[in-house]
Amino acid sequence: MKISIRHQLSFAVGHGNAHAVQHILLTPLDGPTQKVLRWSIELDGMDRAARIFDAFGNSAQLVSQIRPQGDLVVTVEGIVETVDRHGVVGRLPRDPMPALFRRTTPLTQSDLAIHEPLRDGARKGGNRIELLHRLMGRIGEAYGIGADDEEAHEPAAQTQAQSQSSGGEQSQEQDAGVKPEADATTVTHAFIGACRALEIPARFITGYLAESEDGPAAFHAWAEAYDDGLGWIGFDSMLGICPTDRHVRVASGLDALSCTPVRTVPDLGTPQAHGLSVEAVAQ
Amino acid sequence: MSATPAFDEMRNADGSVREPYLVLDAWLKEQPPQALGLMAADAEAIFRRLGITFAVYGSNEGTEKLIPFDLIPRIISAMEWRKLSKGIEQRVRALNAFLHDVYHRQEILKAGRVPEKLILQNSAFCPEMMGLDPAKGIYSHIIGVDIVRVGPDDFYVLEDNLRTPSGVSYMLEDREAMLQLAPELFQRLKVAPVENYPENLRRTLESVAPNSARSTPTIAVLTPGIYNSAYFEHSFLADQMGAQLCEGQDLFVDGGKVFKRTTLGPEQVDVIYRRIEDDFIDPLTFRPDSMLGVPGLFDAYRAGNVTLVNAPGTGIADDKAVYTYVPEIIEFYLGEKALLPNVPTYNCTDPEQRAYVLEHIGELVVKEVHGSGGYGMLVGPASTKAQREDFTRKIIARPDNYIVQPTLALSTCPTYVNAGIAPRHVDLRPYVLVGDQVRITPGGLTRVALTEGSLVVNSSQGGGTKDTWVLEE
Repeated sequence: MKISIRHQLSFAVGHGNAHAVQHILLTPLDGPTQKVLRWSIELDGMDRAARIFDAFGNSAQLVSQIRPQGDLVVTVEGIVETVDRHGVVGRLPRDPMPALFRRTTPLTQSDLAIHEPLRDGARKGGNRIELLHRLMGRIGEAYGIGADDEEAHEPAAQTQAQSQSSGGEQSQEQDAGVKPEADATTVTHAFIGACRALEIPARFITGYLAESEDGPAAFHAWAEAYDDGLGWIGFDSMLGICPTDRHVRVASGLDALSCTPVRTVPDLGTPQAHGLSVEAVAQ
Repeated sequence: MSATPAFDEMRNADGSVREPYLVLDAWLKEQPPQALGLMAADAEAIFRRLGITFAVYGSNEGTEKLIPFDLIPRIISAMEWRKLSKGIEQRVRALNAFLHDVYHRQEILKAGRVPEKLILQNSAFCPEMMGLDPAKGIYSHIIGVDIVRVGPDDFYVLEDNLRTPSGVSYMLEDREAMLQLAPELFQRLKVAPVENYPENLRRTLESVAPNSARSTPTIAVLTPGIYNSAYFEHSFLADQMGAQLCEGQDLFVDGGKVFKRTTLGPEQVDVIYRRIEDDFIDPLTFRPDSMLGVPGLFDAYRAGNVTLVNAPGTGIADDKAVYTYVPEIIEFYLGEKALLPNVPTYNCTDPEQRAYVLEHIGELVVKEVHGSGGYGMLVGPASTKAQREDFTRKIIARPDNYIVQPTLALSTCPTYVNAGIAPRHVDLRPYVLVGDQVRITPGGLTRVALTEGSLVVNSSQGGGTKDTWVLEE
């Protein structure tokens, strides 16, 4: 499927800053599930940016402005051709060692109730893919994501698109007895935390989700877990499926913090999402 | 304090003088009764003039203190030094190879020679360093290896310091003071020079400049500022090397490169000897609340436009829990046995070893895995019952947070004290520079526990320093 993406973010810089710097993680790379046909990021200072591959194999830019004023606007435009491989990403050339993704972070703590019933299955070395699907099912139950609850989760996925620079600082507060609020970042962290508790490498993925009859376009989050045979496999706990050709993979990391699409110093807070359109284009 | 008498570096058990100290012994005997007292007063005046001070955190007696200097030098023979320096060089080569491996293919973890969890779950492991190739493949360029001696041929490595080891300015100033106080001794003995350390530091830093740097790279020393306990050293080293002393606000990143603000406009910086901890060097990548660092610095480093010395994430190689694996690390990368042994260390997560530790805590030294500077440490033989009970509780609660070692009978050296000359326990921190070659300054910093019987040599805990002489053949 060919997917056309246009995504604009803006930050209020204010006055009096001698410098501003940004670390931009908004560049998808070619892989088994996608081919980038066209991609551009516009931003003041982009022409002088340092282009780097980060520790997780992502393509990143270091952009800076001297005496920035007014709004800082990031405009992303591109076309990506995707293939549905049932979530199997395999191994990418710049992937660090999978074992790295067993490292727990403050955002990926696991809930015993979710992963513990699966521990025996994980230990016996049974079918890991089946185990991961069961885990995704448990996450869905824990967060009240189900087939009969379609409407409830879609706006939450959209919420994630609006607050994409918050670095996963979504409120973790939960009232006793009430199912925790589901948004793509929270449930992805829960899935990753459970994988790592079961000693399965798992990583956080950011990307675009094309709009369809099942839901709106979103800047989205899902997880990938590692299987010794197949390599990395995507699990979108928010949608309860493995990523399809509606998913455009952008960046991977230990958690939402290491995948933050635009990090800024000085801290410019949450960006205003001016506009996001992710659409399948006619072949 | 220790049951076995400590090895004295000057005198044999029968009172005879060991060979390296013969000239010093004769010189000491020639001195008129009041001479050493006058020299000690002179030494204090010299240090006040040099301005060497250090800050003791949590001290109420003002923030700046003069570090006590003992005017009787410690002497190491050429043969002893050859043995030590070979062992040190082996160690720093292996630890740099280990750093490259854990931040790339992690072969040592795959081979099961070091537990994966110990590295990948360790707070000193820096995931952001994965896949980064520092200039010449070197991660830790400036290293201090803490060594203790317990017998004529028995040296142990107590710990490795691969982050931002301090104290080298004391080594240099101690020598400067000795040259002024006892110039005639340097005529009688051939003492290996240490004065070229700043020049060697500069050469080392220049040798790891990025490929894009000009033929004479611009070097900056990045300091957290005047409130840091080692600020004196930062400014001293910058001055001695002819490099710029900078705080975070003096530098900025533009177009992926690092610049220093100067009155003539921005000047690109190629190598940064940073004395700021990893977490604080760049708020864009690490702690966002850091006011000390330079936003964008780490990405500029990743882009290969600047070299950071030492690299972030080197702490994984001097972590106290990783320390116990250093002999294994040396064998894995160099295929050689460690020339300098580790101090035997108990692992409290092992139930049997823990039981032994708890039963014998009064004889042992307990260290926090992430502690330093002698803080968070129990020296069993010198402890109170309440302290031992406190540490027993702590070890039971978090066995992985402590390593435990036997109380070593650290060697003693003659030291000038109120009562005259008496033996005091010492350790040794040689300074190693790793760049286009490994350069080890002969000797290093000898720290001395000035209180009789004390084994704690840290300056924050009442320790002093001595000039360290390596004799040339």
